[in-house]
Amino acid sequence: MITASQKPINEIIGLVEPYKKVLILGCGTCVKTCFAGGEDEVAVLASALRLSFKKMARSVQIEEMTIERQCENEFIQEASESIKRNDAILSLACGAGVQALAKRFVKDVVLPGVNTTFIGIQERPGIFTEECSGCGNCGLATFGGVCPVTRCAKKLLNGPCGGSQKGVCEIHPDTPCAWHLIIERLTTLGQLDSLRTYIPPKNWNTSLSGGPRKLVREDHIL
Amino acid sequence: MKLETTPKLTLFHCLNSFEETSSQIDGCEMKTVRMACSSMTKDIHLLKAFEAGADAVLVLVCPGKNCRHAEGGLRARKRVDYVKTILDAIGLDGRRLNIFNTTAKDKGSITEIIRNTIQDLQTMGPNPALNRLN
Repeated sequence: MITASQKPINEIIGLVEPYKKVLILGCGTCVKTCFAGGEDEVAVLASALRLSFKKMARSVQIEEMTIERQCENEFIQEASESIKRNDAILSLACGAGVQALAKRFVKDVVLPGVNTTFIGIQERPGIFTEECSGCGNCGLATFGGVCPVTRCAKKLLNGPCGGSQKGVCEIHPDTPCAWHLIIERLTTLGQLDSLRTYIPPKNWNTSLSGGPRKLVREDHIL
Repeated sequence: MKLETTPKLTLFHCLNSFEETSSQIDGCEMKTVRMACSSMTKDIHLLKAFEAGADAVLVLVCPGKNCRHAEGGLRARKRVDYVKTILDAIGLDGRRLNIFNTTAKDKGSITEIIRNTIQDLQTMGPNPALNRLN
């Protein structure tokens, strides 16, 4: 999932302050799972904003809505009536959702309510870890399902740096050494020999370093 | 801002930590919200209580590990702490929201908690988000 965290409430107040009618639009997929922008977070933020504006003796109407996914037009469509009757949309979706709204509603103000952070998983309730950098050329088969590009602080592709202590990264003491995990996993799978193969320097053209990327599926284009 | 009207309290409680029959305390207007377990304390409910006019909100939960559902009190405390940060950030003052470990039998402590809250409100004043708009 794409993880995000809600912006500080005072930053959000600053963003929506110029408007009299604000729609807080949640997204029911990734940001819901990481407690940043689902229905519950929309309700809490709306309540906090209402209290804050009342305290400031400001009359601001806050409308709440959550759609299944803000990054897809089919779902965005559901919000069009609500968007029409408001001056601004405060989107609690990831950056893709915010931009999808901005593309679809060219004359409407779309504001981001969360900071998009990374592609990750929920390690345990309340703790999310980054697992994928979206580098565009997945090598997880070689590394036993553990990504050194994302999870090794040095992005090493040909074995550990030698600095880890008891399986923990020397750079981030609260992070497991990715290469420790890779070796453990390949040992379990009986595939440790696969590490004898030299991995050439990574071609980063497929990553964001090459500029914004586009995915084209000709078979789905009419 | 000094409190010039009867303070309004909203009290969320686990059914094992408070008895509503003993809830009438002089000098305040109190609403009680009974929950099967304090783990049902949700951030939105606490904020809505302030929106509905509460000057202070109290959450009463079972002491320590006495929660019959294992972690109710812990969960409630985490949510209360989170909402306190929101209240501080928007200038409502996180001290208006508090959580206490109580047992229904200990009526003396509960009365004292409520009296202390009323006293604190004398210095904090009314909910600053209320009566500002017509």
